[in-house]
Amino acid sequence: MITQPSSFRKTPKALVEATLVAAICAMAACSDNNHHDGSTPVTPPQTVTISGVVAGSGFVPGSTTEPTLKPGYYQGALVCVDANANGKCDADEHPATTGSDGKFSLDVATVGALIADIGTTATNTATGAANPTRNVFRATLEQVQEQQADGVVISPLSSEVTRLMEANGSSYDTEKQNLATRIGVNLAQVLADVNDQSGATQSAMLTEANALTQRFAYAVTKFDRGDKYPDALAVAGGDPELTGMAGVTAATATVPETRLPITFAQAQQAAFNVEGIPRYDAIFIIMLENKATKSILDSAFAPKINAYLQEGNQSTSYYATGNPSEPNYTALGGADDFGITDDSQWNCGATGANAPEDLPLPTSDQPGLASSPFNGSCDNAVNHNVKARRNLFNAITAAGMTWRTYNESMNPGQDIRTDSVADPAVMAQDNVYAPDTVGGNSSTVGNPNLVLPLPGGLYKTKHHPGMAYQNVRSAPEFKFSNRTMGGGQWDNVLKNSTKYTIPEGYDFDQLGTDLQTGDVGNLNFVVPDQCDDMHGITVKGTVVGSGATGTASDCSGDAIITRGDNYVDYVVKKIRASDLWKNPQKKVAIVIMFDEGKATSGFNSCCGWNVSNSTVAQPLKQNTDGSWAVDDSIANYNHGNRGHGESIWGVLTNQPDAPKGIKDSDPYSHFSFVRTLQDMFLLADPAVDGSYMNRSKYTEKFIAENILNLPEYAGSADTHFDAVRPMNHAYVIPADYVEKQSGDVANEPQVGPDASQANIWALKK
Amino acid sequence: MQKQQLLLTGLAALLAACGGGHGGSGTSGGTTPPVVIAPPTALSLAAQVGQKMFFDTDLSGSGRMSCATCHDPDYAYGPPNDLAVQLGGPELKSPGLRAVPSLRYKDFTPPYADLLDNPDGISVPGPGGGFTWDGRAATLAEQARVPLLSAFEMANASAADVVARLQAADYAGLFRQAFGDDAFADTDAAFRDALAALQAFQIEDSSFHPYSSKFDLYAGNKIGGALTAAEARGLKVFTDPDTGNCASCHYQGAGLNGSSALFTDFSYEAISVPRNADIPANADAGYYDMGLCGPMRTDHLPSVPGAADSFCGMFKAPTLRNVALRSAFFHNGVLHSLEQVIRFYNTRDTWPEIWYPTVGGTPRAQNDAGFPDYGLITVQYEGGTVQKFDDLPAAYAGNIDPQMPLDGRPAHSTPPMTEQNIADLICFLDTLTDGYQPPATTPTSGPCVN
Repeated sequence: MITQPSSFRKTPKALVEATLVAAICAMAACSDNNHHDGSTPVTPPQTVTISGVVAGSGFVPGSTTEPTLKPGYYQGALVCVDANANGKCDADEHPATTGSDGKFSLDVATVGALIADIGTTATNTATGAANPTRNVFRATLEQVQEQQADGVVISPLSSEVTRLMEANGSSYDTEKQNLATRIGVNLAQVLADVNDQSGATQSAMLTEANALTQRFAYAVTKFDRGDKYPDALAVAGGDPELTGMAGVTAATATVPETRLPITFAQAQQAAFNVEGIPRYDAIFIIMLENKATKSILDSAFAPKINAYLQEGNQSTSYYATGNPSEPNYTALGGADDFGITDDSQWNCGATGANAPEDLPLPTSDQPGLASSPFNGSCDNAVNHNVKARRNLFNAITAAGMTWRTYNESMNPGQDIRTDSVADPAVMAQDNVYAPDTVGGNSSTVGNPNLVLPLPGGLYKTKHHPGMAYQNVRSAPEFKFSNRTMGGGQWDNVLKNSTKYTIPEGYDFDQLGTDLQTGDVGNLNFVVPDQCDDMHGITVKGTVVGSGATGTASDCSGDAIITRGDNYVDYVVKKIRASDLWKNPQKKVAIVIMFDEGKATSGFNSCCGWNVSNSTVAQPLKQNTDGSWAVDDSIANYNHGNRGHGESIWGVLTNQPDAPKGIKDSDPYSHFSFVRTLQDMFLLADPAVDGSYMNRSKYTEKFIAENILNLPEYAGSADTHFDAVRPMNHAYVIPADYVEKQSGDVANEPQVGPDASQANIWALKK
Repeated sequence: MQKQQLLLTGLAALLAACGGGHGGSGTSGGTTPPVVIAPPTALSLAAQVGQKMFFDTDLSGSGRMSCATCHDPDYAYGPPNDLAVQLGGPELKSPGLRAVPSLRYKDFTPPYADLLDNPDGISVPGPGGGFTWDGRAATLAEQARVPLLSAFEMANASAADVVARLQAADYAGLFRQAFGDDAFADTDAAFRDALAALQAFQIEDSSFHPYSSKFDLYAGNKIGGALTAAEARGLKVFTDPDTGNCASCHYQGAGLNGSSALFTDFSYEAISVPRNADIPANADAGYYDMGLCGPMRTDHLPSVPGAADSFCGMFKAPTLRNVALRSAFFHNGVLHSLEQVIRFYNTRDTWPEIWYPTVGGTPRAQNDAGFPDYGLITVQYEGGTVQKFDDLPAAYAGNIDPQMPLDGRPAHSTPPMTEQNIADLICFLDTLTDGYQPPATTPTSGPCVN
């Protein structure tokens, strides 16, 4: 609230404020010195006092359900009008300091936009912890004027309104409304004190405040650090740091370094566009299985996926990183397969220091798990239980965000850590396809009289991107975050299950429920069963009447492509029918991708790969001085990460103004995608190589700088191809460059750059 | 003295293998010759024992034959000569029954199974895996038992005989160090350890899987790996299902367990190469080497001679890596040049009379113009009957693989590959030879350039 000088002299801070007035009067705004001769009474300066709070959120790790986010204030933060717009409360800006209740009272000559400069000596009262890194929240002039009567609330949300106004050249009212719409709270509350809210409104505000706090802290870090702008790997054309650098292919490192130190205003936006990857609220990654690009692209068996590819954007040179499934999913979970080169159970070879910690193992002798197929001991020369390695799941959780894996066709009541089992009590009819619905079939495919009992292995742990990681299976939220997904052949009859006790209130389609309630994760892996994901298993049943044995019409052969095509269509439509998707202020993406191709010839992989038949690859570990050394602790590592060809990869977004129909042919791999996700959710910092997990840090520059420890990349004929980069389409392919390919694509190699360099993740053109 | 020479030869091969691999840090120019960065990997004690054994002629009945005698490191651990079968036994006078395979790139070979999943992930499961031409040894260790105890190879009388020789070897101490002070106390255990040592050597020593060919530079995105136009065309022939179709069995893609470009899918096929009279055992007209169905392998023997048996005539598709170093091809070594092998694939069906004998005909005084001169039989006959598939009993002709390029097309029809295809294919296969060093300057002319 604002008071007149006569009243503020009565405040307990009179002495301080008198000094402040004197200081203010030293400035041009009070430069009328004509009466300062002692003979003429001084006209009290026309200052105003702005009161309010600096509010925020605090994250408390360890929740077994949703992240624990608490409301609070910043104690010891400086509040000022940032007159010189340097993103700091300088001494000559006479900042007020917030008290233990987060309150400030600031005297200024005129009402202006405010900043809260939150240093590392400030305390977040939500957690009682010191603020870990300098942060700045802003509040616009319009907001200050609007709230001046009741107290101004400077918060991550107020700062976001400011940022959006600058980004979009729009008004306060517009962006305030957009933010309210975005997080689903009333306009009157969106910039209010989160501490005064409750229920869903408070929860929504805290969730957003938590994410924004990290973004704005990162913006300040970039600014204070003097980062160049934009990020190196977001520079149009290519990374300018590579030009003239030893150990990189000169023909593809041609962009001059012209970047300048980032400004405060640039940093504000850059923190929401790390390496050119915009912040998204939610991403759904639909995982399909084992199809080369040429098996899907333009296939008559996959008309719906092809329509989505056309409708959205594509990465047309997307490579798997392993073979078979488990290494690929593990790499999608954390940008490395850690020497896993088969589909063995997650406890295989896990002895000694690698022994599982999530005990007891889910074997059939455990209570309620009599039907478990889990083998309690599994000899294998290779450890399949990855310990103490970074991964997306732990990183998302540690940032106070959420992940989900939606898994189809689990047995109700089973342990998520085991494969599903056959259940003869769960019977479904064979899928029947009318003419012209399966690759141009002229007659009906399928037998309406064929009844198929639920086969075993529809759900497989090898297809869970987090399963190999001990730290994921042991995470408090592991059970909560693994969920069901319906819509398949047996899902409607899973209620007849007999293999495990069906838990009370069991939701057979949690994805459907979550899309209705909005309780999806930030990062969502959508994992169809082994028929709906095009993998294929043997599914046999009995023909009613004749008693003859029959095989499912569409869990093998080309028909399974159509089955998967239909399932993808089902999931995409379901997501797009949700309020989440329909809220354009929410940034939502759906990725349709395969774990691997076939790689029957040509290049097996790219972009962080263990170069074909290299015999020397080892992971790296960081020394205390920041340098890197070889980590030789992983058996079979050299056989991992070798790739398995190219598959289709498409992304749909809910952004109406986003560029569409973009084909990005710059090669990417699972490691690139994991790097992209780290950028998307601010899980890493491009200025700190080691902040990117595992092989996702293997940029062209990093490899060149660490070539002695990465001998698999020595002698490269094309260091760009070998290296990881985010999927941002910033790199421009040289005019005479001939595309490298696996045998999985049917098109002739592209020569030269893409038709458009638009970013497949861009939110607007 | 001979042992020392062989050992030195082996070390030379190791060094050569190490030198052919990966490049240095200076990649910006595009012409920097590759240099080694990776330090040589230390062999385990067991592998060190295996290394000693591999080159030890004292481990044979003759005292003059080691593993390396037939599996010569200078020939990619294959035979150093063009003999269809090697001579062994106590006097080195006993001929073998089959051509010596290379021991390179065996580390990913799975044990034999009648229905092995194909590494391409596409082909239906079928007979595959295992060691020797018929897969009867499940592991490299089991494979090592075969020559050690074969009467016409190293000719040890028994496992105990081998162990006794080991005990007397100058590396017996190393053996004890590797397998325990009482390693020789139990003969059977000591023999198992000896076989395991040979396996360890082959698994651990990079000279058995150097991946140092030009193709490896190509597939690994390395400087010097750019295929010439001819090589690239040859690769296309190799892969193309309508011409060479070599890749169908000599699979060059990604496989299981991190393998890649092994140029075999471990599968077995019957293609019925011509009977080789140079193998003395074939003097017996009733003797047929039928691979999976015997006689050396015994679990798929026909119930009675001629009884239906889908395994008869099937032999393992070997890796084609280093194929250009060989001069005895197929299980019976009947062909002696790579070009001849390709021409056999191309014309087995279109010119059967140049591969199989003609019975009842009359040799012509002069061949017709255009009668090929590259076959095993260079004389044209008037009349008579070609004894096609003469090394496989007629009852098993149905087992013969109909895949391209051996698709059973009519005699004197157009073969699948053109002369250009064949020349290009040979150029490509030459890129599979290990130890490749990129030339300092890129050649602009030559048979495999354009």
